[in-house]
Amino acid sequence: MEPSQEGAASDRDLMARLAAGDREALAPLMERHYRRLYRLALSYLRNPDDALDVVQETFVKAFQKADRWDGSTEAGPWLSRVAVNQSIDRWRRNRRRQATFTPLAEGDHDEALAAGGPDPDRRVLRREMRDRLAVALEGLPERQRAVVMLRHYQEMSLDEIAQTLGMRLGTVKSTLHRALGRMRTGLRGELQS
Amino acid sequence: MIHLSHLRFRRRVGLLAAGVLEGRDRERTRAHVEACARCRREYAELAAVVAAMEADPVRSAVPELPVSVLIDRVDRQIDRAAARPPAPVVGWRLALPAAAAAVLTLALLGPELAARLWPEPPTPVPTGPAVTPAPAAAASDEFLDRLDRNMAREHTAHYLSEAQDVLLSVAGTEADCVTEEDRVDVGEAPDRSRDLLSRRALLVEGRPEAVASARAVLDDVEMALREVADLPSCVRRRDVERLRQKVERRHLHMRIRLMTRELEG
Repeated sequence: MEPSQEGAASDRDLMARLAAGDREALAPLMERHYRRLYRLALSYLRNPDDALDVVQETFVKAFQKADRWDGSTEAGPWLSRVAVNQSIDRWRRNRRRQATFTPLAEGDHDEALAAGGPDPDRRVLRREMRDRLAVALEGLPERQRAVVMLRHYQEMSLDEIAQTLGMRLGTVKSTLHRALGRMRTGLRGELQS
Repeated sequence: MIHLSHLRFRRRVGLLAAGVLEGRDRERTRAHVEACARCRREYAELAAVVAAMEADPVRSAVPELPVSVLIDRVDRQIDRAAARPPAPVVGWRLALPAAAAAVLTLALLGPELAARLWPEPPTPVPTGPAVTPAPAAAASDEFLDRLDRNMAREHTAHYLSEAQDVLLSVAGTEADCVTEEDRVDVGEAPDRSRDLLSRRALLVEGRPEAVASARAVLDDVEMALREVADLPSCVRRRDVERLRQKVERRHLHMRIRLMTRELEG
């Protein structure tokens, strides 16, 4: 979770203002959460344009449905939940159109890859590994993938995941266990090489 | 006894690798892993999966769009949505009577209301016979019929898409549950199949003619879902393979894709 900025309005204040129809509250909320939600959507969809669309939809929904936020959860997990649902919807639509998974195109987020080292061979290996990883993630059922994303890409605790996805803690544990087992099988050859 | 304890720990090995075990639980699981060669191997592989995700550049990706542009986009989308008449949020079965009432009102009040709502352009008034309620009522029937038909087709497309997702998840399953017996874990697929089967009747009982062309695909999908619904969550690999082949022989995935497209127009 990205912490609230000191001195600035808290997430709760901003959500309360949104619920009252104050659109000015949207900008600070977006500045605080949009990077995190972008990474969440990108890890799910593996496509930067789709991920941006999901972030946009998430904040539109946040404004439109803010009055349904009852304050029992923090704004961060609530926004994450909206973003996960939007990502799942987008993924289903993409698949229906047969625009199925395509790994990140060459050049996407290259600066992040370059940070791995200047050695070209190593970069190629890393790219291959990343593509295999993306395929393994894409092979997970929706719910399992969402749990893995929130744990390993958003570093949420199990409690936060349960809160975000509206699942029981035990279900989150068993889902995470199954998902990792499935990925392990899918990546076995890659991990041994 | 030892076997049970081992199984209990095996379930926790994944959680240990995921870094979510704490305190005594973590220490006990770690001790078990150190003492058990198979668990050690499993832990090493799971930890490698976690490490691969931690090295994924997506984790540090930065959106290419500045937040100011995104804020502007969101603002415009909210404005556009506000300018549109509110979309009905009720289910189509509830929406239909409301639409019928609206059309009936229009039919009864007829030209007078229509003229108020949509003033005619400044063209000469036709001298032909006045519009009577009968054609308007006919138009309303036609409108409702089309709406009903489109809804039925849309629901069927959505149903087929979900069913395909279940069948793909079963066919693609590789997660062992009990390796010695060559069994794999099909997770939530049986539950999801049962849920889909319970919704199946609703699709064809309302407007059978609207989805008549999908009947054959729906029947084959139903048969496949019934088989999945009967599976235990831990199933023999060869049973999954047999099911996958059956689905393949019937070209079910291709037929679902084509039918979904047709239904969605």
